[in-house]
Amino acid sequence: MSQHTNLSDTNLDTPDTDSNLAGQYVLGTLDKTERLAFEARLTESPALQKMVNQWQNHFVSITDKLPPLSAPQPLSARIERSLDELDQPAKSKPTKEKTSFWQSLPIWRGLTGAGMALAVFFAVQLQTIEPTLSEPTYIAVLVAPEDKTPGWVIQTSQSNQMQLVPLAAIEIPEGKALQFWTKADGWDAPVSLGLVKKGETLRVALDKLPPLTENQLFELTLEQETGSPTGRPTGPITSIGRGVIML
Amino acid sequence: MSPSIFDYETTLKHCAAGNRRALMQLYEQEAPRLLTVVLRILQNRPLAEDVVHDAFIKIWQNAQHYHSDLGSARGWIYTLTRNLALNALKYSNRQILFEPEFLLDLCDNQLQENEHHADEVEALAQDPMAQTSLTNCLNHLEPERKLCVLHAYVDGYTQDEIATLLDKPLGTVKSWIKRSLNALKECLQ
Repeated sequence: MSQHTNLSDTNLDTPDTDSNLAGQYVLGTLDKTERLAFEARLTESPALQKMVNQWQNHFVSITDKLPPLSAPQPLSARIERSLDELDQPAKSKPTKEKTSFWQSLPIWRGLTGAGMALAVFFAVQLQTIEPTLSEPTYIAVLVAPEDKTPGWVIQTSQSNQMQLVPLAAIEIPEGKALQFWTKADGWDAPVSLGLVKKGETLRVALDKLPPLTENQLFELTLEQETGSPTGRPTGPITSIGRGVIML
Repeated sequence: MSPSIFDYETTLKHCAAGNRRALMQLYEQEAPRLLTVVLRILQNRPLAEDVVHDAFIKIWQNAQHYHSDLGSARGWIYTLTRNLALNALKYSNRQILFEPEFLLDLCDNQLQENEHHADEVEALAQDPMAQTSLTNCLNHLEPERKLCVLHAYVDGYTQDEIATLLDKPLGTVKSWIKRSLNALKECLQ
């Protein structure tokens, strides 16, 4: 019976040992849930990472037999330029105008292609936040005003939702809250988009807002726990940035 | 230079220390092969070049996290790069191609031996296992199972795509791959 053959050929008789999982990870054949679970363990376990690297080193002997292409010279020059730009933000003076900072951020260059630069910029976070970052149409990176450290990324998707995603652990003092504001060119005053809770992605329904525009300002200010009493930003700005429409 | 002679581990250490020349040496050494691997998966040259660019930036940024306890440095580099390529698949409308002869030829040692260059011979002398052992082990697998593994690794096809391509149930493909890995592991030991 074919049914029986199929059953005996299922996974029941092949337990998922770590080595087997590592091999499947290298082949790229884990499904999404399995892969995320494996990656979560991978970051914690040098032993698993070693298994992965060993499998990879074995398998790469197959692709070593593909006829190699010549890597174009402009590509190495492009890599060098990106490295230069990575060095830049740390060296740039705090007095520099915002626009020149935005222009110098390595993130914008790569976005011209296929949004790939996001993968670079979030090198470490890639595997955990990548699923929510697919195909953004509007994006902004909010940075600390003093040292330009990127702290948050804003992105929208087809879901008519804007998300404010933390890039690192955030500390909110006792009795305070971070309030999220936006102001487009031509608006009289900033509009509150809500309060940020620790460790949470803030989601804002876009149908409550006028269409997002190029260069629209976003910022987070430190306010009372219940939000600004005046309905306008009153506390210090902790992060600020402008939006870019992606084509 | 043959991969078994180039010192990937030391190169990564120099990258971690901020030595940019080391990254460019790694580019000279590995970029053609990385581009080949990535292009095979994405089938889109500009996108493949983007991924290789991003891979080198990520290698530069993450080299400090590599240490010898994590095993093969070259494996580390390819894991990082292939993951970027697989993530980039969503930007690529690639075709699923059925090229069994091409894939099986990759495992044909006879064919390879006719094409040895001097440094590869040298490499074989230094490390007789590295060049041939996996292909030898793969050749112990039944052709259809071997193809599953090769389509997954070389082409970056998903198990669904392989099942459709080979006209087999998904569960069968999954099971073949898992069993093939166990057989390969045993053979490699």
